[in-house]
Amino acid sequence: MSVLINLKNVSKHYGNFCAVKRINLNIVEGEVLCIIGPSGSGKSTLIRCINYLEEYDGKGKITVNGITVKKGNNLKNIRKEVAMVFQNFNLFPHLNILKNVMLGPIRSLKVSQSNAKKRAYDLLGKVGIKDQADKFPFQLSGGQQQRVAIARALAMKPKVILFDEPTSSLDPEMVSEVLDVIKDLAGTGVTMVIVTHEMSFARQVADKIIFMDEGVIVEEGSPDQIFDDSKKERTRIFLKSVLKA
Amino acid sequence: MLLLPMDLYSKDINNNIIVGANIGNVPWEFQDSDGSYIGFEIDLVNKVGEQLKRKIKIINIPFNGLFAAVQSGRVDLAISSINITEKRLESVSFTQPYYDSDQSLTVLNNSKIKNLYDLKGMIVAVDTGSTGDIWATENNEKYEFGEIRRYEGLVPAMLDLVIGRVAGYISDIPALLYYTKDKPNLEVVERMPTGGLYSMMLRKNNSLLFEVNDVLIEMKRSGELNELHKKWFGKFAAKNSSTIKILDIPKSSGKLNLNLTETFLNKRVFLETYPMLINGFYITIQLGLLSILLGLIWGLLLSLIRLYSNAFLRFLVKTYINVFRSIPLLVFLIIVFYAFPFVGIRFSPFNAALFSLVIVSGAYFAEIFRSGIEAIPKGQFEAAKALGLSPYHTMVDIILPQAIKIVIPPLTNNCINVLKDTALASIVALPDLLKQATQAQAIAANPTPLIVSAFIYLIFLLPMILWVSRIEKRYRSGKQL
Ligand SMILES: Nc1ncnc2c1ncn2[C@@H]1O[C@H](COP(=O)(O)OP(=O)(O)OP(=O)(O)O)[C@@H](O)[C@H]1O
Ligand SMILES: [Mg+2]
Repeated sequence: MSVLINLKNVSKHYGNFCAVKRINLNIVEGEVLCIIGPSGSGKSTLIRCINYLEEYDGKGKITVNGITVKKGNNLKNIRKEVAMVFQNFNLFPHLNILKNVMLGPIRSLKVSQSNAKKRAYDLLGKVGIKDQADKFPFQLSGGQQQRVAIARALAMKPKVILFDEPTSSLDPEMVSEVLDVIKDLAGTGVTMVIVTHEMSFARQVADKIIFMDEGVIVEEGSPDQIFDDSKKERTRIFLKSVLKA
Repeated sequence: MLLLPMDLYSKDINNNIIVGANIGNVPWEFQDSDGSYIGFEIDLVNKVGEQLKRKIKIINIPFNGLFAAVQSGRVDLAISSINITEKRLESVSFTQPYYDSDQSLTVLNNSKIKNLYDLKGMIVAVDTGSTGDIWATENNEKYEFGEIRRYEGLVPAMLDLVIGRVAGYISDIPALLYYTKDKPNLEVVERMPTGGLYSMMLRKNNSLLFEVNDVLIEMKRSGELNELHKKWFGKFAAKNSSTIKILDIPKSSGKLNLNLTETFLNKRVFLETYPMLINGFYITIQLGLLSILLGLIWGLLLSLIRLYSNAFLRFLVKTYINVFRSIPLLVFLIIVFYAFPFVGIRFSPFNAALFSLVIVSGAYFAEIFRSGIEAIPKGQFEAAKALGLSPYHTMVDIILPQAIKIVIPPLTNNCINVLKDTALASIVALPDLLKQATQAQAIAANPTPLIVSAFIYLIFLLPMILWVSRIEKRYRSGKQL
């Protein structure tokens, strides 16, 4: 298994405040990596550095598939490989569901209109909302919208999908329909980096779990290791508090 | 039937006679260095006041406003070297005349133009709706002028003559002689005998007509009027001129009294003038739509520079926007039209108006676009970036469609403002709807064309205004478009 994403000494400052501190991390092709940790620990910041939505500090270096993530012409190649699913879906409200899914391939991958459409229908079928293709985002439930966002990400045929708390904006009864879609993806070989507060989901789906606090990786390991046999006090305290809730 | 309220405004509580005059019309009524009104006709009305034992109160009204002012009763009496014409007599009354005038042509001293025939294919200036305007229009075929350009008075017309934007200026000879006498670069080269007669204008059937006329008879008899002629023109009037001879009050053709609708919505005047108004409307529409189109493009460009360029360009654009939102459009238009030629930039009236409207409206459009773009959530930009969209496609596919939808009401309001502001182009002699209406009402001495033009603006703009308020209401109720 080869390393797809490599983070070397990655930090991110907002002014004087350091949100992410000297992170070193390898993400292997096909791996499902879940990032857990308390609010404000730098989880979002870290994964947003991977597709350069955040500009990380100059001393560090991130590579995706061997290409360095930095400002410039290569960035569009990075973004073809790295898709993202946001907490608030961020669907395009003026485009219908079908066009939301078609836009990326047409503009970035230069796929033809008809191929993009075919693929969009396929993917909407896969996430179980084929019949909503002509509707607009505001006409869909939150769970349906997030499934469209996943289809939109998949349409780019990315090597890796970043999920930033994909279920945190959803009503409880819709969480599982989205998690089920993500679980299905786990079997397809696509690499996934998932920031989540859903511990049982993380345990079930992850190949590896990272626990972050105050901008650093406190502990990493297999789900069983982290949940049943944690070496770190901070991890145990955190898990205790979230699992009790 | 509605009757015009008699002397509604002019019944001055102090029993003054209110006189409307186009101040600046040398040597008839203008200001001396202390700002007091002087001139031949000022002396004349003061004499009238003295004889009738009533105080004279003078109001400065542009020439084209005098006709409506008299007919509405806003003033009792109008002076401003007004010629008696058949058309005007249908709507207003005149005292007997007191001055014989002809039209004349003024050109630059060093120009090749020495007579009217040299003006073939050239642009000739006149005062909107004046006798010169009427004369030039009637003789257009004979001399084949390239264009008759209509100005709001002597000063702007002379400015354009000096700049060279017009080849000649046709107006009443006494004013031109008086104006050019200390200006060696200008020359009056032709006199066109039009038999013009100056007189004081009053509303039809105003009893003051006879009282004022009696004073004129007395002044002619005593030679006082001839003394005024000597005072202002340096010599006595010709023997059988109207300054000397006692004449009849010019006969009004048509009815003695016009009621409200006949005054303000006169069918005959309407039928005579609506082709002019349609032409003007056509120009207004052309100017308005072109200004809006270019203003939108320019404003969008400015807003993008303002939001996304480097600090220096951002500062420039910010300054631009602040400057042009503070300058009144009219002031800028006058600078563009009358001052730019001195630095070698010479616009036609249409282009000057278009340029000014685009430059100024662009500043407003830019701020509207900016507010729309800034209202789009950050997540939309991030989602577009994450899909690998270029900055161009992010804007065109994602941000602008949403931003523009949000700002449709203010955009439309600004478009309405631009369409209304096209009326300011009258000032640079563009024959737009307002200009045509002003000209038509001065020639007919009847405000009908102005009222009709108001209706045209209304019919055109009202649907847009209603549409905007409907959208705004929908937005407020939170519904989707
Ligand atoms: N644009 C910003 N400017 C300043 N500080 C920021 C900015 N974005 C994030 N931060 C700070 O960086 C820290 C890490 O934020 P981040 O969003 O990565 O945390 P998180 O682990 O994703 O938390 P949550 O679970 O609440 O989403 C926080 O303290 C946050 O306040
Ligand atoms: Mg977060």
